[in-house]
Amino acid sequence: MLWAISRNTAALRMFFRKDTVKICDLGIVGYEDALHFQDRLLRRRIEKKAPDTLIMVEHDPVVTLGRLAERNSIIDGDYFERTGIPVVPSGRGGKITYHSPGQLVLYPIVDLGEKKRDIAFYIDFLEKTVSRGLNRLGVPAGRVREKRGVWIRGKKIAFIGIAVKRWVTFHGVAVNINNDITPFSYMHPCGERDIRVTSAKEWAGREIDMNTARKVFAGQFEKDFRDEYAEPASKRGIDDNAVKIA
Amino acid sequence: MQLRLPDLSEGAEDAVITLWHAGETDRVIKGKDLVEVTTDKATFDIPVPCDGILVKIFKKKGEKVKTGEDMAEIQEDRS
Repeated sequence: MLWAISRNTAALRMFFRKDTVKICDLGIVGYEDALHFQDRLLRRRIEKKAPDTLIMVEHDPVVTLGRLAERNSIIDGDYFERTGIPVVPSGRGGKITYHSPGQLVLYPIVDLGEKKRDIAFYIDFLEKTVSRGLNRLGVPAGRVREKRGVWIRGKKIAFIGIAVKRWVTFHGVAVNINNDITPFSYMHPCGERDIRVTSAKEWAGREIDMNTARKVFAGQFEKDFRDEYAEPASKRGIDDNAVKIA
Repeated sequence: MQLRLPDLSEGAEDAVITLWHAGETDRVIKGKDLVEVTTDKATFDIPVPCDGILVKIFKKKGEKVKTGEDMAEIQEDRS
């Protein structure tokens, strides 16, 4: 149950508005709890019993290993043992990353089957909307050709790893806002060697108000999702039966 | 019935088989997850297209697969 998994009830908000996307803010929760919440919402969305929803969350410190993560992605396993940071497998795409409070994670549970069935297009969309959100916070981040994620002057600030079931998305994108980025230096984030990681706080030289960040990213996602995906597939000339297996 | 990799993106990249939920000779049920494929940043679950028997897996876990390529063969139940 949603109420039971958040320790930060002040930050817990669900806005049911007549917009294209519902916003669900879980506050700070453990990775596994958020995963269970996503899973339940995913099933309800597949059954058409829930609307397109953006889950926003901060996680307790955790290292997650996507489906393609290699064991040698961790440079110093002792560091994570010493600091008590768990390393857990995840069913998302992508490789290794790190989550902790101060990092804003967006998990859109949206049905692409009714819209545009294109995973690369969806990842492009996530990168653009996160870039715009960071720009509105005064951080001039953007996309880099032939690289995934969001970057600022050669440093990575947002990390993408998604999953799709029956064309409904889950997992999503993690944006470094105020979080401690030290643990990233004990791994090869996204499996890339020599990668440098930054945060909005490091760039701005000051803390960013997390409530402001939440509002900015929720508003940006709603707007961009409406612009990119609001038209039904039939109006885009997409044949709903075009993607058949067999 | 051949199970093929659907078109996941325009200008689709290769995907890797990361999980088979069933093995050869297993009975499979329409709509259940059958195989998970993974691209650079995304996993994608492909469901069983019809009730039947999974008679042959052409692409094993860890192998690359292209759009439209056969991944498995299912012997469909006769109704």
